[in-house]
Amino acid sequence: MVNRTVGGLRSCASCGGALHDDDAFCEGCGTRVAAPTAGDVAVDERTADGPTAAPSGADLAPSGPGASVGTGGAATACRTCGGTIAADGYCEQCGEPAVSARDHWSEQPARWVGGVCDRGLRHARNEDALALAAAGSFAALVVCDGVSTAPHSDVASLAAAVAARDVLAAAGPDGPEPVVGSDPARTAAWSALLGRASHAGNEAVVATAPPGLGPDDAPSCTFVAAVLDGPLLVAGWLGDSRVYWLPDDGPAEQLTADDSGAGELLSRGVPREAAEAAPQAHAITRWLGPDADDVTARTTATVLDGPGWVLVCSDGLWNYCSPAAELATLVREHATTCQHDPLRTADALVAWANAQGGRDNVTVALARFG
Amino acid sequence: MAVITAEVFQNEFLPQDGTDVHAIVTLTSEGAGAADTASGGVAEIIMVDTSGSMTGRNLDAARYAAQVAVDQIPDGTWFAIIAGSHVAQRVFPYPNASVAVVQMEPGARAEAKRAISRLAASGGTAMSTWLALADQLFATVPQARQRHAILLTDGKNESEPRQTLSAVVRQVTGKFQCDARGVGASWQVDELREISTALLGTVGLIASPDDIADDFRDLVQRSMARGIADLELRVWAPQGAQVLFVRQVSPTVEDLTARRTEVNALTGAYPTGSWGDESRDYHVAVRVASKPVGSEQLAARVQAAVGGTVLASGLVKARWSDDDALTARISPEVAHYTGQAELASAIQEGLAAKAAGDEATATVKLGRAVQLAQETGNDEATSRLRRVVEIDDADQGTVRLRRNADKLDEMALDTASTKTTRVRR
Repeated sequence: MVNRTVGGLRSCASCGGALHDDDAFCEGCGTRVAAPTAGDVAVDERTADGPTAAPSGADLAPSGPGASVGTGGAATACRTCGGTIAADGYCEQCGEPAVSARDHWSEQPARWVGGVCDRGLRHARNEDALALAAAGSFAALVVCDGVSTAPHSDVASLAAAVAARDVLAAAGPDGPEPVVGSDPARTAAWSALLGRASHAGNEAVVATAPPGLGPDDAPSCTFVAAVLDGPLLVAGWLGDSRVYWLPDDGPAEQLTADDSGAGELLSRGVPREAAEAAPQAHAITRWLGPDADDVTARTTATVLDGPGWVLVCSDGLWNYCSPAAELATLVREHATTCQHDPLRTADALVAWANAQGGRDNVTVALARFG
Repeated sequence: MAVITAEVFQNEFLPQDGTDVHAIVTLTSEGAGAADTASGGVAEIIMVDTSGSMTGRNLDAARYAAQVAVDQIPDGTWFAIIAGSHVAQRVFPYPNASVAVVQMEPGARAEAKRAISRLAASGGTAMSTWLALADQLFATVPQARQRHAILLTDGKNESEPRQTLSAVVRQVTGKFQCDARGVGASWQVDELREISTALLGTVGLIASPDDIADDFRDLVQRSMARGIADLELRVWAPQGAQVLFVRQVSPTVEDLTARRTEVNALTGAYPTGSWGDESRDYHVAVRVASKPVGSEQLAARVQAAVGGTVLASGLVKARWSDDDALTARISPEVAHYTGQAELASAIQEGLAAKAAGDEATATVKLGRAVQLAQETGNDEATSRLRRVVEIDDADQGTVRLRRNADKLDEMALDTASTKTTRVRR
């Protein structure tokens, strides 16, 4: 993919938005930015597009690729041997592909909210995405899991997560139209906003799809978002990424109900283990993408009455630990080791998922309430 | 400025514990322009066999052909004519001239043709002396970076031991490019092949002396149409990896592996001579340490460099997968050229066996050649094979050696054995 230079400023090949010189990903749509080619010589690399996780001097500090990488520019060192990464995205010494910022990144918009997004061990691309926002006692946690059978799902998922998060953040206390009022009024407002957020996410996905795609190639992703407004927790979702409420005292709950084969079976009374092992268990029945029917997120709300963890995650985590009670134990154990820091706990949970096999991309976002 | 492009064809998926990566890399040069003769950067030498056996039709035809070649050489090109027997003599510039080579211009052209018309045949054949003299002459014009020679012979290199020829060939390797031609049936294919392979040229059979002129015209024109004097193929492999082989596979099969010189610890350079607007395919094989399923790694960078600058780069990748559907595929390009390389060796080994009297081996090898030519759609090879063997069943590779195969047909098959067909894409 080649990024065009328009009047000195480069513009993104996917959405046409302006690119800063040291951007690794487009701020508008999240598309990976190709490394600029060298000066006068006519270099023409007609291979399949670079390594499957291409770089370009990205700074790996905890700022998601949704934001522009300000301090980048210098070539990163190879993660395996320390050698320099060549312009083609591979190490000049050992041939390892450069670790993309997309392979493992994190966000921490406030001390009490943090999330980590990781490629896992088996997948070549990270098609999960994460976008967080926080202000005072408000937080929005959005996770999107790209469907890996459709190409460009990594671009789609990031674009969707960022678009949805922005809709929610605009209604937070720092935004232009903050949600106010009584609990019921705010619940209604957030539920409606979650629907608007999922629509915005869908539009972003559709915008990233190259024209003329067949039905099997339409990029798609799941969508899940949790909004914390004081003690009010409103969750919205399409697909099988989940929100859990894990109180320090009291029963842990999965707030979302998967839109998937397993979800359907569960709702019909099939026990969880059987439902999750059934052959179409992981086939999602709702998603964001050009071929989706209805992209209004289903919502649910609850008022939190004690301290605990709000966990938003993709199936890369819950596939290894699905029931809420077990997940609660897991999160508490890791939180204790990590001094209850959400970002470090999320990182530890991602490492745990990889230790179980890392079969899928894994995203973990945590907000500490109370 | 020429634009070089590199395209890589491969199946990058390896099974668990897989280590060997194969790829076909197509290098295409466009806008290379013609050889820069006006500036004195190009030199051309024609070496004509004037041994006793050339007396008569061969020498008449050779004289005429050399004159035709001289007509093709553009003004500004440094050139000389060598008469070769058991010793080599420069016939133009004249032996008593103060210069070793001159630039082409109308006066020189006329004089050269006059000198050629006075060529006389006598003596034996010691081609190493011709090559050594050509090297000497080229060395007097170091500003001519693009150096090409044509060598014509009609017989075996009988006046010196083979080692002498081989030693001189090694000495002059890298100094100039040479296309070798043999007229008639009395010369030895492997002698000329040794010269042309080392000197990055082609070997050809000229069946009848009347055809020499056309061939020479063609050779000089092609040489003059090459705007890039020297293109280097570079292959980088990661630390700990082993480059198994590097072969040109189109337009002809040439094993370049032994020509490697080191650019740095991880990169080898393989000279490929001068290029015009053309396309050549290379088969590169690299062995890397296997990695866990899901990993990816760069197995090789295949690059084209001119004057020390890399102008094109192709990436050869390795990805480990446990999906049989992905790992079992063979890239059609790799399969095709592997077949073509096997075809070339089957032909050469079959003919060598036949010459040594080992008919059994010859039949098996030439049968395999027929089978491969059929499979890979190499119709030219099939028709040449047909003149040397009776084909009973092309698919099975069942053949019978022809009793009265013409020596010329066998030599034609031998010299053309390295020509490949392009893979159909």
